[in-house]
Amino acid sequence: MMPRAQPVPQPAAVLRSSLSTSLARYRRSWGLWLLLLIAPIGARFMISDESGKGIVIAINDQLPVLSSAMLGVWLGIVVTTLLLPAGYIYLRANTNRRQPWQVEEVTAAPRVAMLMGRFLADAAVLLGTLGTLTLAGWLLGWLMVSGPYSPWRITYPLWLIAAPPLVALAALRILFDAVPWLRGALGDLAYFFVWVASLVLPILGADQPSSFGTNLLDYPGFVRPLKGGETVGSNSIQIGGVDPGTLKPGRIDLDVAAGLNAPGYVAARFAWIGIAVGLVLFAGLIYRPHRSGRKRPGHGRIAKLLSAGPPPAARVDAPPAHATRSASIGLVLAEFRLIGAGRLFLLLAMAAALAGTAGDYRHIGSAAALLLLVFALSAHAGRSEARGLLRLTATTATPPMARRAAFIAAGLCWSLVIALPAAVVRGSGEPLLLALSTGAAAAATAMALGALTGSSFAPRVVLLIGWYVYFSS
Amino acid sequence: MLTLTNIVRKYGRKTVLNGVSATFPSGLTLLVGPSGAGKSTLLRLLATAEKPNAGEIAWDGAALPGARRALRATLGYAPQAVDLPEDLTAREFALHMAALKGLDAKAADAQFGAITERIGLHADINNRISTFSGGMRRRLVFAQAMLGAPRLLALDEPTAELDSETAASVSALIVERAAKAAVVMTTHLADALAPQAVQVLRVDQGRVAPQ
Repeated sequence: MMPRAQPVPQPAAVLRSSLSTSLARYRRSWGLWLLLLIAPIGARFMISDESGKGIVIAINDQLPVLSSAMLGVWLGIVVTTLLLPAGYIYLRANTNRRQPWQVEEVTAAPRVAMLMGRFLADAAVLLGTLGTLTLAGWLLGWLMVSGPYSPWRITYPLWLIAAPPLVALAALRILFDAVPWLRGALGDLAYFFVWVASLVLPILGADQPSSFGTNLLDYPGFVRPLKGGETVGSNSIQIGGVDPGTLKPGRIDLDVAAGLNAPGYVAARFAWIGIAVGLVLFAGLIYRPHRSGRKRPGHGRIAKLLSAGPPPAARVDAPPAHATRSASIGLVLAEFRLIGAGRLFLLLAMAAALAGTAGDYRHIGSAAALLLLVFALSAHAGRSEARGLLRLTATTATPPMARRAAFIAAGLCWSLVIALPAAVVRGSGEPLLLALSTGAAAAATAMALGALTGSSFAPRVVLLIGWYVYFSS
Repeated sequence: MLTLTNIVRKYGRKTVLNGVSATFPSGLTLLVGPSGAGKSTLLRLLATAEKPNAGEIAWDGAALPGARRALRATLGYAPQAVDLPEDLTAREFALHMAALKGLDAKAADAQFGAITERIGLHADINNRISTFSGGMRRRLVFAQAMLGAPRLLALDEPTAELDSETAASVSALIVERAAKAAVVMTTHLADALAPQAVQVLRVDQGRVAPQ
């Protein structure tokens, strides 16, 4: 008898299946509906007036006249500059972060089709959020714009500016998931650098005449619309929190349409969508399987240096452990040990403490200590708030909120311990005060976001951005 | 002693446990029944990991939720699936659980060493959990449940994925503990453990009855 031909997975069918299952998982997650709700509510806080409440966009220290087109540009720019990390966090921490790779990766399904399906689902979710933001923009426009009210003039610049970076963000997430070393903390760090570069690169092309090439560098798409018809390079642009006292009275009337129609601008926006699709194809080609859950312990010199060594000899007749005299102190100590788990952390903590004894403490010692704590705190917050572990820890005598409080106290202790040598060498309490405020803020943020998302992605990215603001201010 | 009275547990429209009443005295209680019958659900209710939709759970005569804290203070729970923190060593994880149980760290470390020695895990307790096989993970979850001197042990298939020799070591520890505590467990080794059990309960179609 002839053997029956083996079925060959059709790429289109794999893509369709991957897309529909991803969308189904999104649809059943509360996170999606929260995102769709937050976007329009948050829209109001994306537009600032002269009071400086909300996110300010100022050109030459003046707010722009809020025409319909300018409103669309404003919302679009806020999304592509300040809110993209939130989109990244959402994609990395959402319901689709766990895939049954153990069984998927041994099938003959083409990786490109599988990843393309996931990418389309991620992009659809982000663009859906942009859709709800558009609806909010229409409402805000009706209430706020000066001059003729036009929903289309709000929608066109908003989508032209914001849609390509959102699609590219979805592609970046897929690319990061394709490479083992980018699936964890290093991926978050890499994204942080990509985000910072995306804010800096547009400035490089800002003084050049508008062309496809210069606009391609402007991934967030803010330069041309805010330069308007003005002489290239003559406008200074501020986006974000601006001291209202520095704003000049009156508003600047920008020719937004001239910026949007500048040579090469629209083509560059569409090129970013093409780049996104290219990234997904590339991710499919370079896709590397997940490593087996069981990793072999290292045997090299470094592995030996970093390992905890052999366990102490066991006493088989050891009696059952008795209750500790102070459960709260025991809990803080346990959290302290786990935040600083591993010899690598101890080595780096010693280096950060040493760095703080010389030079500008605020920008060297304190920044180094905070950077170390960003990774340590987010790692432990993520692991202790993993949903599958909570089912076990919630059945112990310690209520979850007590554990979280102990985590914050332990994070604070680490911050103080690392700052102690600097305080001693300087004979000043200032490093300790700085450590107190930064440590408490970092620990509380890590725990709040870890508890909210059940993973370390969100705290790590948010804390990295916070660290960058702290370091550069 | 733990008692359940008219417990109902539903997931959406599906009723998994329907009017279950049972008593779990000191000693070993085995839960048997087909897959999906509600054995793990029953264990989660005993371990306070879930709340019933109706009915009463009482520990030493006091009803939950009032007595929940007292019950958790003396509970050891080993669920089937746990998201173990892969980047910690087994010992670090066990000491974390000991702190959450309010146990003295040094004494818990010694006890963990003793338990893991008996179940063949001690040589690996300073290795990261990411290096562990399925059976090693299962033993680690069991070992943390045994920390302290729990008066109620809720164990969900503690001997699954273990070779017969290791399963026998785990079973021996369970039987020892059952001399001083109420131990409720699901197991595929029910026939071997039944002679040691004070009762064997069959869970089927939402009901619990002595086998």
